[in-house]
Amino acid sequence: MSVVIWVHDECLNPEARVFREYPGAPAVFVWDDGAIENEQWTLKRIGFVYECLLELPVSILRGDVAEQFAGFAAGCGASRIVTSGFVNPRLARVAAALDGLEVLEEPPLVDLPADIDLRRFSRYWAKAEPLLFGRKA
Amino acid sequence: MSGAFKSDEMRRAFDNRGDLVAYLRAQFPAAAARGGGFSAFRGGRRAALARLSGCDPGAYAASRNSLNGSVTRLSPYLRHGVIGLREVVDSLQKRHGGLVRARKLVQELAWRDYWRRVWARIGDGIWEDRETYKTGFHASHYTGELPRDVESSATGLACMDAFARELKETGYLHNHARMWLAAYLVHWRRVRWQAGARWFLSHLADGDAASNNLSWQWVASSFSSKPYFFNRENLETYTQGAYCRACPRRGWCEFEGTYPDLRRKLFPLLEPGA
Ligand SMILES: Cc1cc2nc3c(=O)[nH]c(=O)nc-3n(C[C@H](O)[C@H](O)[C@H](O)COP(=O)(O)OP(=O)(O)OC[C@H]3O[C@@H](n4cnc5c(N)ncnc54)[C@H](O)[C@@H]3O)c2cc1C
Repeated sequence: MSVVIWVHDECLNPEARVFREYPGAPAVFVWDDGAIENEQWTLKRIGFVYECLLELPVSILRGDVAEQFAGFAAGCGASRIVTSGFVNPRLARVAAALDGLEVLEEPPLVDLPADIDLRRFSRYWAKAEPLLFGRKA
Repeated sequence: MSGAFKSDEMRRAFDNRGDLVAYLRAQFPAAAARGGGFSAFRGGRRAALARLSGCDPGAYAASRNSLNGSVTRLSPYLRHGVIGLREVVDSLQKRHGGLVRARKLVQELAWRDYWRRVWARIGDGIWEDRETYKTGFHASHYTGELPRDVESSATGLACMDAFARELKETGYLHNHARMWLAAYLVHWRRVRWQAGARWFLSHLADGDAASNNLSWQWVASSFSSKPYFFNRENLETYTQGAYCRACPRRGWCEFEGTYPDLRRKLFPLLEPGA
């Protein structure tokens, strides 16, 4: 089954799991023209991201992300899509439009239960600190 | 492989950075009009790893609050997942045989993890006040517009004008400068944090709604138990006097005064000592 990698702006790492687990798979990053305008990105950020992309084995497209991605995936005859973990709801909306998407999370800073108390940093830190400093190299 | 899409693909080969920026300017003219050129950061994993190997966690703990302190400047790389938080901690641990010296740095890295966990939970709610302001004012007392003089570095305050310029020219500000500029906008100019947050996100190379919006809310007090503000002495100390020395408003700026004085001026509706 052929796989295609969707690369997004929260994981521009050539050593990310998506690249390690699917070496040689076609990969694509799509500039989201709508988001660039909504979020008023300047060229400074675009230049930074572009330089990151030049170190990744990806094709670079632009436009509506889900639409461009679907066209790319169809062109590759791909039946499965993999991507890296993300938090931005803008990426979640794109992800919701992609059928059969598998998300490969990068290792978290610290393993904590999903329902941990996040009302203040101090509550989070009370749980995170012992795990972080108790950990062996 | 990508067949029909080949012709729409963007370029990947450039002679040099100048060639790249010229291409991007032509491709993204609206973004270039908002702020052209490169940020202070070179993109890519090689640059990220070079920065990581230059981190000095001991010097960081001792000097991070000063504008000329040993901060890592890893934020654009972390924001775009070029390197991971866990990877940074593992590398510090390996290099220093443990995390004793890196305690402070690890805690600051954890702030990023914390804000992102909050974002994962609240999604687009990140643009809403998490709680009411603890300033004595209601959200409707704050303006939704970014003041033009702040945006264009024309307040006459050497510090704030320099911070706004640096933000726009480099895409980076030291954490303390972000705190001062945010506090100035929200508490002295009574601007809603969302207006400031949008402005920062547009320019920061590390712009991230989690760290950005929630830090703005922390300053504003809609995600903390009290507002963050500062006085001139504090700013002067952590900038080695660089701005105050040359400021046309030296001696009579709005940051002059003790904390209790400023608190009374900025938040007149709060109970004394509350
Ligand atoms: C008003 C305001 C807006 C901010 N907006 C952003 C933003 O859009 N994106 C962003 O990444 N950070 C933001 N921060 C947090 C912080 O200012 C930056 O992460 C830091 O200044 C980046 O520089 P550095 O990499 O040299 O940090 P260092 O001090 O060297 O810290 C190392 C890393 O730890 C993390 N970190 C450190 N302090 C914080 C913090 N207070 N909150 C979250 N993460 C932290 C960052 O990932 C940083 O790269 C904001 C802070 C304020 C007060």
